[in-house]
Amino acid sequence: MQKHIKIYLLLLYFTLLLPSLAFAIDVQLSGIQVTTTTDNLLLSLKVEGAFNEKLEEAVLNGIPATFSFFIHLSRERTLWADEQIVELKVTHTLKYHNLKNHYIIKKSWQDNKPVIAESFDEAKKMMSEINGLTIIPLKKLLKENRYQITAKAELNKVKLPFLLNYILFFASLWDFETEWHSYEFIY
Amino acid sequence: MNLFTKRLSRKTPESEAAIAMRRNKYKNPTISESPDNRRRRKRDFIIIGIVVAIVTLLSFFTVKALQFNSDIPVSNMVLMFILININMLLVVLLIFLVFRNLIKLIYERRKKVEGSKLRTKLVATFIALTLLPSTVLFFFSLHFITSSIEFWFQIPIDQSLDNSLAVGRNIYKLVEDNNTFFLDKAAYQIVSRDLLSNKNKKELSNYTQVVQRAFNLNVVEIYNAGFKRQTVSVDSKLGNKIFTPLTEEAFQTGIHRKTDTWAVSENFDGGEVIRNISAIPFGATEDEIKGFVVISVLLPQDLVKNLASISKGVEEYQQMKMLKQPVQFTYYIILTVVALLVVFCAIWFGMYLSKSITIPIMELAEGTRRVAGGDLTYNINVVADDEIKTLVDSFNKMTRDLRFSRKELELSARELFEKNIEIDEKRRYMEIVLNNVSTGVVSLDARGLVATANHSAEKMLDIDAAAIIKKSYKHILKNQHNELVDEIYDRFWNKREESLSRALNMTIEGLPKSFKVNFNSLKDDAGRQIGLVMVFDDMTELEKAQRMAAWREVARRIAHEVKNPLTPISLSAQRLKRKYKQIIDDPVFEECTQTIIDHTELIKNLINEFAKFARFPTANPEPCELPPIIHETIALYKEGLPNIAFSTHIPDNVPILLLDRQQIKQTLINLIDNAIASIRTQGRISLTIEFGTNEKTIKLVVADTGSGISDVLKPSLFEPDFTTKKSGMGLGLAIVSTIISDHKGKIHVEDNDPHGAKFVIEFPV
Repeated sequence: MQKHIKIYLLLLYFTLLLPSLAFAIDVQLSGIQVTTTTDNLLLSLKVEGAFNEKLEEAVLNGIPATFSFFIHLSRERTLWADEQIVELKVTHTLKYHNLKNHYIIKKSWQDNKPVIAESFDEAKKMMSEINGLTIIPLKKLLKENRYQITAKAELNKVKLPFLLNYILFFASLWDFETEWHSYEFIY
Repeated sequence: MNLFTKRLSRKTPESEAAIAMRRNKYKNPTISESPDNRRRRKRDFIIIGIVVAIVTLLSFFTVKALQFNSDIPVSNMVLMFILININMLLVVLLIFLVFRNLIKLIYERRKKVEGSKLRTKLVATFIALTLLPSTVLFFFSLHFITSSIEFWFQIPIDQSLDNSLAVGRNIYKLVEDNNTFFLDKAAYQIVSRDLLSNKNKKELSNYTQVVQRAFNLNVVEIYNAGFKRQTVSVDSKLGNKIFTPLTEEAFQTGIHRKTDTWAVSENFDGGEVIRNISAIPFGATEDEIKGFVVISVLLPQDLVKNLASISKGVEEYQQMKMLKQPVQFTYYIILTVVALLVVFCAIWFGMYLSKSITIPIMELAEGTRRVAGGDLTYNINVVADDEIKTLVDSFNKMTRDLRFSRKELELSARELFEKNIEIDEKRRYMEIVLNNVSTGVVSLDARGLVATANHSAEKMLDIDAAAIIKKSYKHILKNQHNELVDEIYDRFWNKREESLSRALNMTIEGLPKSFKVNFNSLKDDAGRQIGLVMVFDDMTELEKAQRMAAWREVARRIAHEVKNPLTPISLSAQRLKRKYKQIIDDPVFEECTQTIIDHTELIKNLINEFAKFARFPTANPEPCELPPIIHETIALYKEGLPNIAFSTHIPDNVPILLLDRQQIKQTLINLIDNAIASIRTQGRISLTIEFGTNEKTIKLVVADTGSGISDVLKPSLFEPDFTTKKSGMGLGLAIVSTIISDHKGKIHVEDNDPHGAKFVIEFPV
């Protein structure tokens, strides 16, 4: 009987999760670089493979797409749990303006100021890259300490018009979520 | 979940027993329905009811949420996800229950459980009836959805929207192109007239106003190379509305883009301001830039709204188009789920309905079987509220009535049995009475056939009751009284007389018997003749005793009356002889007197014999042995009768009897005398004692090989006056009979084989 229950639960699991697995995209974070200015610690990174054909089509059809970047900074400690110093979430939102035939990108870490991109490639580049994101003032870091930056990116659920987002509840067409990537450095 | 688990874990009674009703299955069979089955069925029904209710409720809430909350936050999305998952779970549970029941039904059918065939038919019919319209409806809906969606996208709205979009784009392009043209001209004039130099500030301002007014532009601005606005001219129609200067970033973006002109849009007073920028001189590189000309055109609010509407419409249409397949697919899934739900609900309902029909039927079948087997306590407990209930109630009432009737019958049977026992006891009592009365009783039925004969009748008439039952009464009378037979028939069957009494003399086993027979008609309460009863009284011994008493009285009187004159006669004759012997010398005289004397003596002897008979003393029995008496008696004759052979056969175990020795000896002498008398030349006389250990009588048989006794003489053999001798009064056997009677014994005569007579004396032990 227990066996039967397990089988049923397994079937249910696959029934509910199969669509997600089927539409999963292989997206990676790359180019993680940590630089400093005189005052701040800056981060640059890039999402690769985020735009597939379907997502591009959705964007060109006016569906806004939002990338979320999760960035954690922690100080490594021996014989002790690492100290979590910073937890950041920044978003990049892309929207195509069909009348003017340009792309509007808004970045949360740049006060959501709209930036126009005349071409899709430019827009994709702007969406996928973070350049010079201020993580923390340098004065908050301890010298000669080992730090670790971990980051991941994910595509928020595409906001479909009116009822479609509920009708297509199970069809997570463009969801992606990268693995956590880490970068260690000694300040 | 616990319930679910229990339902999964429970072994069905069908698998254990039904294996029975099946057992019952229907264990018991017990096709009867057990409380466990009823409980399980009720639980299934409750579960399916709850599942359907929950699915309906959840579906309702989900649909409500979809319709009215198009912008549900993430938390609500999660909630909806949970609801839908629960919904799915319940649907799966419903499917599981349905399939479980289907498999169970197939299993029962293979096991040939009673009622499974009918249930299978009903379920199959229900499934067919459900599947047919559901399938038709499903495929029609599928086709309808497909057609509708295809139809929506077949309408040539694509082109219209593209055209609208093109119009919108052209408006922007037209504005941009116009502005570019004016920018080019303005930049040229500014460079050629060197209006950016500090000395020409006023002229620059004037030129700006001229350009604004001449080209009917809304706003014309001039910036220097340091991105600082030098002058601005605003259309008077805009009133006093302030146009903020552009930021350095707006210029930098254009410079980096390396195009001749670039634009910045801003919302302004409900409309949209398109601000086109170009470097001075027009198309200059970053190093050559001396300043910037900005020409702004305000698109009115209505136009902006219309353009936005076009943009949104195109976007939504394209999104719809893009999501056509997934939406279609989702509709298919929803339709399939609903259709399956309907089908499974219908199947479940079919199963429930079939159970509600088959279970009472199986109960009824089981009940009928049990009732036929004699179990009237069987009661069907089926909960129903339709005609099935009427049927079940009727069956229960029938069994209840049968039960009551049987109890009454059993009571009646018991009473009847008790009455029969009573009657039987009475009958047996009557039989005992009849068998123990000394009179013989024979009953005849209405046809004159023997119905019963008691023991005394059997013994008296020497008949076997079993042999003459159902035979004519003529057999009882041994065909000796044909006139009487006819008379009986005539009187009782023809004339319907009540009774008749007759004295009959019959020879039974060679012995004369005297009976007094009473014939009485048997009638029932209604007066109908149902037979005849014959009562036989054996009068033989009584008559014999009466005759003996009469003879004794005769003998006493004769002795008294006759003997007295004889002595004077004899004395007188002797005196005559003596006195006149010398006087009358006549031989005749002598002879006559002597004859008188002799015959007087003879008569005297006879009289003495009579007197002796009359005065015969009663026996005085004492314990003594019989064999010595026999030997003594034979010894008296043996020597004197050489022509006769005497023999004795005496067993060793002869018991001591109560006998009057002298009288028994006298009896033997009389019998041997008679035997000797019957043997003319040579013969044999044997005395035999027959005694069995279990017998209650001892037999003494005196047999001879003489002339024997004819059947005619046998009836009066033991009466006085019977003799075959020339002398004697024939009292010998009468005396023998008297002695034997005094010893409570019996004597009778039989023919000896091959010839002669055989007297059999029976003494009680």
